This record gives sequence, structure tokens and C-alpha cells, in this order.
Amino acid sequence: MYLKCPVCKKEWNASLKVARHIFGNGDKAHRAWVNSQGVSFTDLLIRQATGSGNQGFMVLAKIVESSQDGTSGVAG
Amino acid sequence: MSKSNYSVIGKRVGNVDGVEKVTGGAKYTVDMVLPNMLHGKILRSPHPHARILNIDTRRAEQLPGVKIVLTAKDTLGRKNGIWRNFRDLCDEEILCREKVRYVGDAVAALAATDLETAEKALDLIDVEYELLPAAFDPLDALHDGMPHIHEDFERNMNVYRQIEWGDVEEAFSQCDHIREDTFYCSSQAHGCLEPHCALASFSHDGKLTVWTSTQSAYYTQLLLSDMTGLREGDIKVIKPHVGGGFGSKLSLDSAQYCAALLSMKLTRPVKIVLTRAEEFGATKRRTAIHYKVKLGAMKDGTLVARKVQAITEGGAYTAMGGTALYLTGFFSSFPYKFDHYQYDGFRVYTNNETASACRGFGAPQANFVSESQIDMMAEDLGIDPIELRIKNAITPNHEIPGQATIRSCELRQCLEAIDKWIKERGPLPPNHGIGVSAYGFMSGGIFNWIDTPYAFSSALVKINVDGKVDLFIGANEIGQGSNTTLSMICAEELGVRLEDITLHTGDTSVCPVDLGAWGSRQTLMSGNAVKMAALEAKKQLLEVAFHTLKPNVVYDLDIKDRRVHLAERPRRGISYFDVVKDAIRGKEGQAIIGRGHYTPHGKGMISPAYSFGVQAVEVKVDRQTGKVELKKIVTAHECGQVINPIGLEGQVEGASVMAAGWALTEELKSRNGKILNGDFRDYKMLLAEDVPEMILIEVDSYEPEGPYGAKEAGEGLTVPGAGAIANAVYNAVGVRITQMPLSAEKILQALEEKKRTQKEVDPFEAVA
Amino acid sequence: MERIISLRVNKEDYKVMVRPGESLLDVLRNRLGMTGTKECCNEGDCGACTVIMGGRAVNACLVLAVEAEGEEILTVEGLARGSALHPLQEAFIKCGGFQCGFCTPGMLMSAKALLDENIDPTEDEIRRGISGNLCRCTGYVKIIDSIKEAASVMRQGESDE
Repeated sequence: MYLKCPVCKKEWNASLKVARHIFGNGDKAHRAWVNSQGVSFTDLLIRQATGSGNQGFMVLAKIVESSQDGTSGVAG
Repeated sequence: MSKSNYSVIGKRVGNVDGVEKVTGGAKYTVDMVLPNMLHGKILRSPHPHARILNIDTRRAEQLPGVKIVLTAKDTLGRKNGIWRNFRDLCDEEILCREKVRYVGDAVAALAATDLETAEKALDLIDVEYELLPAAFDPLDALHDGMPHIHEDFERNMNVYRQIEWGDVEEAFSQCDHIREDTFYCSSQAHGCLEPHCALASFSHDGKLTVWTSTQSAYYTQLLLSDMTGLREGDIKVIKPHVGGGFGSKLSLDSAQYCAALLSMKLTRPVKIVLTRAEEFGATKRRTAIHYKVKLGAMKDGTLVARKVQAITEGGAYTAMGGTALYLTGFFSSFPYKFDHYQYDGFRVYTNNETASACRGFGAPQANFVSESQIDMMAEDLGIDPIELRIKNAITPNHEIPGQATIRSCELRQCLEAIDKWIKERGPLPPNHGIGVSAYGFMSGGIFNWIDTPYAFSSALVKINVDGKVDLFIGANEIGQGSNTTLSMICAEELGVRLEDITLHTGDTSVCPVDLGAWGSRQTLMSGNAVKMAALEAKKQLLEVAFHTLKPNVVYDLDIKDRRVHLAERPRRGISYFDVVKDAIRGKEGQAIIGRGHYTPHGKGMISPAYSFGVQAVEVKVDRQTGKVELKKIVTAHECGQVINPIGLEGQVEGASVMAAGWALTEELKSRNGKILNGDFRDYKMLLAEDVPEMILIEVDSYEPEGPYGAKEAGEGLTVPGAGAIANAVYNAVGVRITQMPLSAEKILQALEEKKRTQKEVDPFEAVA
Repeated sequence: MERIISLRVNKEDYKVMVRPGESLLDVLRNRLGMTGTKECCNEGDCGACTVIMGGRAVNACLVLAVEAEGEEILTVEGLARGSALHPLQEAFIKCGGFQCGFCTPGMLMSAKALLDENIDPTEDEIRRGISGNLCRCTGYVKIIDSIKEAASVMRQGESDE
């Protein structure tokens, strides 16, 4: 199953990878999308930096998963 | 071409600047004086974080001899930074307008007729501050509710970078053994003996000339243009001899900017030399980094995956810290083949002096962490640490997905050479230990951070009627020997002698653009430009020589040691000098000119080439004091074709000692943002007495991208030292220090801790 | 108050106006224009300003100019004889005993003072002899080699005479 980045539509096989991509890109559009989901881009980044495991990025991964239904659907 | 055929390169020649440097004739910026010159000083913040409410300069201005006092209101209000196309990362005003962000931030600059008056006037500037809460530890600075150091950067998160290939999470689930460790790398002062300094002279015709101690005259010119609004062409930067750089003289500094501003306002020459205290507290420094590292391996020693997280202590501004953040991530995978790798790097603003480029640029930190953990893993698996390294070492033509293509690499031979040396060394005396560390480093960065359309390196060769060759280069000699190396390349390519070359360098109005001395770039990049320029000039000579010698079309011509001859039949030839004269006549009296340039293409994200090596350090640890004594440093390394052997060895030795100092005694200590050891008495750089025997093993290699097959040497040797010493200390007395520096106190504490916790017999003690 | 003192530097006599607190280093560099002697820390910690005064290596930044009156002072500018370099200077070039060159004048003067005392120093004596001189570039290895080489050339010269 492939998941899309809701901003630039690039695809990955796991939601955590989409989340990593969103943080790694970090441009205005990607930041704005994260912040529009009721979470804070910077807060999640810092949770990732200071927490254990993938705490911060997992939060976004969950959001990415649920965002797939409402957008262009799941590809692949 | 085999090595023996070279007539200049590879020979042990004296440095071309030698006579000047040993007679006291070499002029540095600190030595320069101009008629009618004023002396400038900079007022610096005593507070780590404060709002500037008011600056009253009247009392200072009234002091006889004071010519002007400038503050931020006298500037264009622009912010300076090296990543010019990322404006939010250009965050340093140099003269602060609203806030000061570290102890040492500049708030005013003044010029007076003599230095004493200038110093006195500093005390007469009244600055009203509103003190703000400050953050000194990056882990604290990220917390909600901590003070904002830069308004646009929420929770002080300055830069986040990630690097990854493969799938680490999946890979870890397949590993036989996994280690997770944390490490800390401390900061380091550059310790240049010549302080940052600049002499600026603005003339009535609107032209600015700046003599300055810089690693890149071109960067200085460009950044001064940004900050002053002058056109680049109206700014001439002259770089006399430079008393060391080590990464510190790459960004625009307060001496350069303030001297330029003062001179522009007064139309008189102004000189600013930073004091030693300013050097330690108000320039830049090596980045301190906290790491979490997870390493997964199979029972047979195959390294499968590594996941690295770094939080770097950025200090007050970005400077080149973003690059150190990226490179420490890239080099944390070195020098091994990982199928799965992931790096997350977080750079955090704090109210400390800015951390930026420092010799090795993030790689020494990465290596201390990586190579300590490799030894820990080897012990877990019961595999010899060198065997483990050989098993996983990068080999030639290795591709790192999305990052780099490594062509030449003789790491395995280096590992084998060190293994052989250790075996020959035999059993060690009590409390001695040998530690090894393997490393790789780049030959110049593919970062066009400054955003220039010019080639990364360029050179111009002009051959005159007497056969003398003018070589114009923008490359920056700062002590590393590039003037000699590049002159040698020019002489070799043209087929003349070293004394035929006259070097013209260090003047932006005369020399073609070169990005300067950083990231070990000049031998490969500037070297390629010089070689190309010399070849272009040489071809013009050969065209003329063909007319004279009229060889069969199947023969090539070449020039060697001032003789133009048939390449295949060296005895048939004519004098270089005659050919030069004919060639100039044939060009209606114009000198012969060759132009060369180099910009890496299709070489990935990091560097066009990489050098590799292994260092073994033997130490003796005093169990009573915890003090580490260096006994031997043995380095096996490969750097392609050696161009300038004396320069190369000197770089390797000097870098190794700088690394050892960082590992053992050099720690820039601060409390509440104030540097505690800002002088050479309390900041302990190694002395001649501390330096052990050094053994150098050159392993042959050839880098197709480099001039004559040459690549990086020198800076890379700041990389392996700390890891090798940490491993040596462990092998000597069984304590693993993961938090730098490896100070006597820390080792003693670890030894005592070990005694307390270990009831059973300590195998290391038993041996001792 | 400023006063005029007589200084003898590199076998030449100078009359210079100095302030009471002015160091020998300031006078050499700023009043006599002899910038070969380097200013680096100004606190006697680095050895870059080493000159030979009365046969001893001293940090010129710690010597008051007035104290130097009547003393025989030798700086790096006085080391060569005309265009003939001193064996130490030759050796530093041959062996690569410098890189940026900023510590070199002080290093040469410390080495000269050492060899004036002892023409055949052991390696440890050389290390101790230059342990007041910081060098960030070379790691000292080639400086030590250079001093050994110069000592050997100078001993050869003595035995030839």
C-alpha cells in the first residue's frame, strides 16, 4: 500500500516515511499543512528530538494515514 | 604516468613562502600600518541575553582622540550569513540592534587616534540593557517556556536535517545484536595564533580596500558587499600571510565589518585587531554535540544498520553550523558500508558563542562517537576490532544512495598496515593501551552556500618572454602550504622549474575567483584549475614547437624541465625559452595566457572525492591521577598522488595533535554564557613536550577526479584522534569514556567507579 | 611621562621615546617597525614574541621597554647575516618547521637560545626548550626535526673551523 504526502503527493510505503519526508522537507507548504492539522510542526520535531522511539514523527504518521481517505485516495 | 616521471610534484621541496616566514619578513594583517591610520575597538555585551534599550555614545565621542562611535543605527540593518539563499539562516547583524544574544555580541564600534584612547572610550559608552532570561544548554533551550533567542525560530529550533537510505527500522528487526549508546562531544577553540584582524581603507572615490586575515578573500568581498551595499567590484580584499584559520576565518567577522564601516564613515584607514579574550569569546568555535546512536550487526560482524540522532549546541547564530550539522550526520556512517542508515540532526540556538566550522567540520565528532561504538560492538561480538572494520570498510567505487559516489578508496590497505604495526609492537607495558580509529574525509565541499555563479576554483597562467610564469590564483594560503602545492602543479604541468613560477595571490582585484580554504578543497579543486590553466598555456607553446620540430604526426610533444621535446623521443627537442620567445612573437607580442577552472559535477551532495585512513594511538594512563600520556601516534592514510610531501606530512602531524588536544585537554568551558578559560594559560593546547613519536604510513592510491590523482590530506587527520584515544584508554585501563573530553578527572572518576562496582577481579588490573 | 631610552637591537643602537608601561614588544613593533616579532596573547602564555635579551630567551610582551635599556637584544630580523640565512632558518625551510609562520619568529629565537647554551641537545631537551612556544599548525614534529638538523649543521660548522 502506498501513502501520499498530502502536500506534494510523493509516495511511500509507510506513513512514518511520509512523516519523515514532511519534516525533512520542512518548507512553508509542508509546515503549514502540519500546523493546519491541529498539531505544531515545531512541537512534534522537538518531541522527536527529545523523546524516545519515533514519538514526534509517529503523531504525524497517524495524521497522514487518516488524511489519505479525504484526499485523492490510496494509490497503488 | 608512473611517479618517477614527475620532475616537480612528489619532491621534497621547501615551502615557497619559506624565506619570508623564517626571516620575519612575512607580513600579516596585524603587522600592517597605513599613513593616517586610526585604531578601532568593539564594545561587546557583558550579558548572554538582553534587550538593548538605549546606547548613549556622547561621553565616548567627547573623549579627545575619538573620531566616531557607530552602532546598529549607522548600518543598513542587514543580516549576515553564509547560506545566502536561505535568508532566515542569515541571522547575524554583527552590530546588534534590538538584542544581544551572547556574552561578546557586538553593540558598538569606535575609532580613535591611538589604541589606548580607543580602549578608554569603550568604557564611556553607556548601554542600557533589559536583562532577559537565557538558555545555555540545547536540551533545555528546546523546552516550552524557555526564552526565544530569535523571534522567528520557535523554541530555539534552528535547523533540522535528515539523511537516510535503506530502512533502518526493518533492518534492526533482523539484526543479531543491537547496541544503543549516548555520547557527548565537547567544543574546541580554533586557537589561531594570529587573531582576527582587518585594516580597512575607504577612499573618496568610493572604493573600499580591506587587508584581512581570512580563509576566503572572495567570501569576505561578497559578504562585505551584502552588508555595506557597495558593489563587489568596489571592494578589494587583500589577504596577506595568514596566521592560521582552522575554520574560524571563513565567515564575515566583527573586525572586518566594523573596520569597513568605520573607514567608510571617516574616509580614513581603520585597523581592528581582536584581543586574545575576544578570540576565545567573541568569534566562533567547534560545535558541541549530544548523540544517541543505535547500531545493529550480525553475529559474523556484518554491520547492518545505524541510526544516529544529534542535538548540536548552536550558540547565538547560524553561521556555518547548518553544514556541521549535515556533515556530522553524513560522516557518522563513515567509513563503513551500511545498507541502512538514518540520521536526524537538530541544531539548537543557545545564548553561547556561536558554534560553526572548525577543522574537520562535524566529522571529528561523528568519528569519536562512531569509532568508540565500533570497538564496543566488536567486544560484544567477540571479534577483533580491526577485523570488524576490514569486514565492513568502504571499498572503491562505492555508492552511498543519494549522497556520494566514492571512487578511490584504499581503506582496507590502511587497516592492514595498522594491524601489522600493532602486531609488530607486541605486548605492551602495564597501563598502556593502543586504540584505533578508521576515518574518511572529503576533498572539498559541493556546497554553493554562498550562491555564486563563478566556478568553485579558477586560475590564470601567464608566460612572459623570459620564460617566467605568472600564476594567478584565488586560492587562500593560510599555512596549509597551498601556495607551494599549487606552484608545484603549475611547474609540473608546464614542464618548468619551481623557481620559474611567480605566484600572485590574495588580492580579489587581481586574482580569479576561488572559494578559498575550507573543507580540504584547494589541492583538488584549485589544483585542477591550475593544472587546466597551465595545460592551456602549454598547448599554445606546443603549437609553435610543432612548427620548429616538425615531428611525424604520430608523435606528441611534451615539456620537461624547460625542454620541449618529442614525448616518445626525449632527446629530440629544443629549449623552452626559445619556444616561449617564438610563441610571443607569433601572437603579435602578447604574453601566453592560459585559463583554468573547476567546479564539481555529478559527484553527489558532499564532495568530489574522499580520502581514507586509520590511526592507532598508544597511550599510558596513570591510575593515580587519571592522566593520559600519549606514547605513539601511527597513521596509515591514502590521499592519492602526493604533490607536496613536506606540506602533507606537516598537515597530518599538526591535525593529529589538534585532535589529541581536543580529546584530552582542550575544552572551552563556560558558565552562564561566560567563557571561563579564555586565555592560553587556562585553555590547554598541547605543547612540544606532550607530543609523542609520530609514524606515518603512506598507502598508495589514485583519485581520477584530482590533479595527477591527488586528493585531500590534512584536515582529515583531525577526525580519528579522539576515537582512537578513547579506545586506547579503554584498552589500557578498562574504562569507557563516552563524554568528551577525556580529562584526567573524568578518567580517575571512572576508574574509582569501576573499582566500587566491580567486586570480581578486574582483568585489566590483573594484567597490570 | 614619556622618556627617551637607548635600545640596542640586532647590533644597532636606537633612541626611542617610550611610555613607562610600554613593553619591549610594543616598542619593537610599533616604534621601531620590527614586526617580525609577533604579538599573539600579550600575556606571556604563547611565546610568539620571544626575543633574546642578554643571551636569554624572553617574552618581549612581559619585558618593559625601560628594562631592556643597555641590553643586547636579538630579534628574528637579526638572525640572518646579510643574505645568508642562519642554520636554524635554513633547517626550518628544509624540514618544514613552520606552516602559517606566526609562531616561527618566536620559535626560532627560543631554539637559538637553546642551541647557544647547548649545541647538542637531546630530543627531550629540545622539547623542553620550546615548550613555552605554542604552535597550532605543525604539531611540533617538524619544528623538533628542524632544530635537530640545525644543531647538527652548527656542530659540523664548529668542527670545521
